[in-house]
Amino acid sequence: MIGFLAGLGLAVILGWLAFVVLGWVVAAPLSVWVGGATGALVVLVARNTLPLRGMVALLAPFGVMLPALALRHMTMGAGLPVVPFATLEILVFLVLYVAFLTSAIGLVRLDAYRIGYAPLPVAVMVLAVCLYGFLTGNWFLPLVAVLGQALWLSGWGSSNWFDHVTHVLLVPVALVVLILRLI
Amino acid sequence: MVSGDIFILALALISMALSAYALWRDETLNWVFAVPRPLAPEPGDAPLFETLFDYRPEKGVAHSPAIVANDETLSVLWFEGSSEAQPDIEIRRAVLDEGPEGWRTGAPETFLTSEALGRAFDPGQLVVTLGNTIQNDAAERSLYATVVSVGGWAMASIAEVQMKGVQPVRARKLDLSPFLNRSFLVRSPMVAYGDGSHALPAYFEMGSTYGALVRLDAEGRVRDQRRISGIGVKPIQPMIVVLDEMRALAFLRDFEDSGQLYLSRTEDGGRHWTLAEATDIPHPNAPVAALSLSGGRILMARNGGGKRSALLELAVSADEGDSWQVIHRFKREPGEARYPMLRRLVDGRILLAYSHHGKRGVRVVLFNEAWVAAQ
Repeated sequence: MIGFLAGLGLAVILGWLAFVVLGWVVAAPLSVWVGGATGALVVLVARNTLPLRGMVALLAPFGVMLPALALRHMTMGAGLPVVPFATLEILVFLVLYVAFLTSAIGLVRLDAYRIGYAPLPVAVMVLAVCLYGFLTGNWFLPLVAVLGQALWLSGWGSSNWFDHVTHVLLVPVALVVLILRLI
Repeated sequence: MVSGDIFILALALISMALSAYALWRDETLNWVFAVPRPLAPEPGDAPLFETLFDYRPEKGVAHSPAIVANDETLSVLWFEGSSEAQPDIEIRRAVLDEGPEGWRTGAPETFLTSEALGRAFDPGQLVVTLGNTIQNDAAERSLYATVVSVGGWAMASIAEVQMKGVQPVRARKLDLSPFLNRSFLVRSPMVAYGDGSHALPAYFEMGSTYGALVRLDAEGRVRDQRRISGIGVKPIQPMIVVLDEMRALAFLRDFEDSGQLYLSRTEDGGRHWTLAEATDIPHPNAPVAALSLSGGRILMARNGGGKRSALLELAVSADEGDSWQVIHRFKREPGEARYPMLRRLVDGRILLAYSHHGKRGVRVVLFNEAWVAAQ
């Protein structure tokens, strides 16, 4: 199951990449369908090739958030309604996440990553995300948090909840979105 | 109330149910060390000191030996290849077998390659090179290997590898850092707890650099990790010696090259560790090995004689590491003697493995406490 989920995560990321590239030449929703199919096909056919094994080594664990954001972007491309994140939300997330990563490399004594192994702190954090989603009317983050909790509990993937709901690539993704909104 | 709000409330309810299950299932970690109680030598015991294995490859490196002892075999593992961190590095082993006529050493053989390990992951992963590898004391025929998929040692991960003969059949990376589990490495043997569980001493090489004690659950998944850090130093490769149920020492290599050996202490079973402080033991930027002797003494294998020392020596402390008496110095050879590992056999005898000739050879010696007492 872990292998299947990692393959699924990789297929979504590759599908999103194909969707973005195809978006330059093909209009949505065709780019969404062709991109998604390309991602799935590449993983099915070439999962044991060096480039894909390299991508797994480089990017795994994929978690829920990164593929969910990719699917969300493709959903928007397909013309379905999606509640956008506010610029302030992305900015606050970026600051908090960089602080979290800073604590992980030992620059401060607090080790925030460590609490992602324990059930009680995870329970509080997931409920806090649900409350935030309820107050802002955005169900995307609660969905990711609860899916991440379910996978964390199932033992399929990382034993740390943060690995299911975050990914270091979120830093460049958030930066790019913020810069694009400034331009 | 709109449908989105109802959906979020449903998610919150699901989350509460999942949390209740997680709390019910969770097993509280036991923080009471298993205390090793080696037997003192009998008055009639003859001192024993013999070299079991001495190996130098025709070319390239052979370094970082580890002793693997299980019900079936006793063996020494090391990494070997053209040069450290190169793609041709593989883990090799020699089986040590004791028969009626004494010890026999099997021919060195390939045990684990990057290619085979990459295939053992699910899904398969690229593994570029291998590094320090140790025995997983919590599972039969299982190892912890330092693996690199991209970059150098600072981008390494720790993989738990299940072996069948000389083939890896299953592998997974330990979930230790939000940087995609990067920058954690292993070197020192595991620490046993009173309930039969084990902890893995590890170290993080990115940023400020620190040692860590990794607690694992019954399935071998990471359940907690505690830092062993310092200020102004880079304490790595914690070598943990248990003193009693709650107290232990962690001897640490300073990656910052201060020329001193560092020490951290715990008094609550490993939950908290003091900031690493310099000992008065001059030591190069290299790891030490240590284990408990009878009578509460500690045996340490280290590089004696200062910051640039290439010599290996054995020292004993009778006061929990406050002072040391050197009992044996190994003979000087070209190149450095480095990366000692000490393991005690079931019958009480002690194995010491180390690399020599500047990472270009591996040696294993066997001795007993009677020999230690006679020095």
